[in-house]
Amino acid sequence: MTRSVRLAAQGLAVALVAGLLGLLVWRVVNDSNTSVAQALKDGRHPTAPVFDLARLDGHGRFDLASLRGNKPIVLDFWASWCVPCIHESKRLEAALKQYGDRVAFIGVDTKDFSGDARDWRRQHGITYPSVHDGSGSVLAKWGGLPIPRIFFIARSGKVAGELIVEEDLPRYLREIAAS
Amino acid sequence: MKRLFPIVLLALLVIPTARASERHPTLGELEGEVMCPVCETTLDQSSSPAAEQIKRLIATRIAAGDTKTQIKDRLVTEYGAAILAAPPHKGFGLVAWWLPVIGIVAAAVTVGVGARRWARSREPAPAGPPLDAASERRLDDELRRFEG
Repeated sequence: MTRSVRLAAQGLAVALVAGLLGLLVWRVVNDSNTSVAQALKDGRHPTAPVFDLARLDGHGRFDLASLRGNKPIVLDFWASWCVPCIHESKRLEAALKQYGDRVAFIGVDTKDFSGDARDWRRQHGITYPSVHDGSGSVLAKWGGLPIPRIFFIARSGKVAGELIVEEDLPRYLREIAAS
Repeated sequence: MKRLFPIVLLALLVIPTARASERHPTLGELEGEVMCPVCETTLDQSSSPAAEQIKRLIATRIAAGDTKTQIKDRLVTEYGAAILAAPPHKGFGLVAWWLPVIGIVAAAVTVGVGARRWARSREPAPAGPPLDAASERRLDDELRRFEG
């Protein structure tokens, strides 16, 4: 093996190891980015991560950023296979009647089959719009499973809180409606 | 030719089975090739509501006459590529399929070259040129004196 070939092979091996190391560092750095739910637990109120997803009803797409500065938002992560989601979505549907003119209610159907999700909405009388997050990549940024997960976003785009106990719903709705 | 016979025979047995599996997939085989999106296992190892939903979807599509590829494409459209237990044989997924093969071949070549070098280093050094007559006589004299 000539010297130049040996040098090239060594350079390639070093580049490969450096690449793999870089990949590892990138992964660790990305993993350390805390989710919205974790940030709220730490007492912080992060800006809501935006998403642009297809609407479940098939009428185009919905971009969360389009509401920033215009309306507070209730964000509901749900799926048709999730039994507790039925109760929470019905509570949100009831709240929609009271706050619908001041607050936007958005559902995010996650890790779900869109056909079943549409049937589920009809079956349970859910009327606020939903988008489809089939891979769950948006849910992951907000905290991942389990669902239901419901977040309240102030008009400024900052996340005010997450629904943990029943009483959180009226409390956060009042708070973001006044924001 | 005799050596190729088992390979040809194996190919003749495997190819029709693979084609039948593609045209008429079973729920059982797809359950082992599709992930449950909430439990990070394949469908055959999960009875979660999300897994059951996908099993129902697959059963419906099999009954409708879809091929395995059509069913998988439908699932990928709904849930993303991570729903498949193995990466696809196209695009970036090819890296996952070929990188281990390339690694094994590279390791075999490295070991082969190393072994050859090691074996060469153990061979006795080749003998030098034959002595001329005067040197041979002198060597014989020296040996006789040494022995005597």
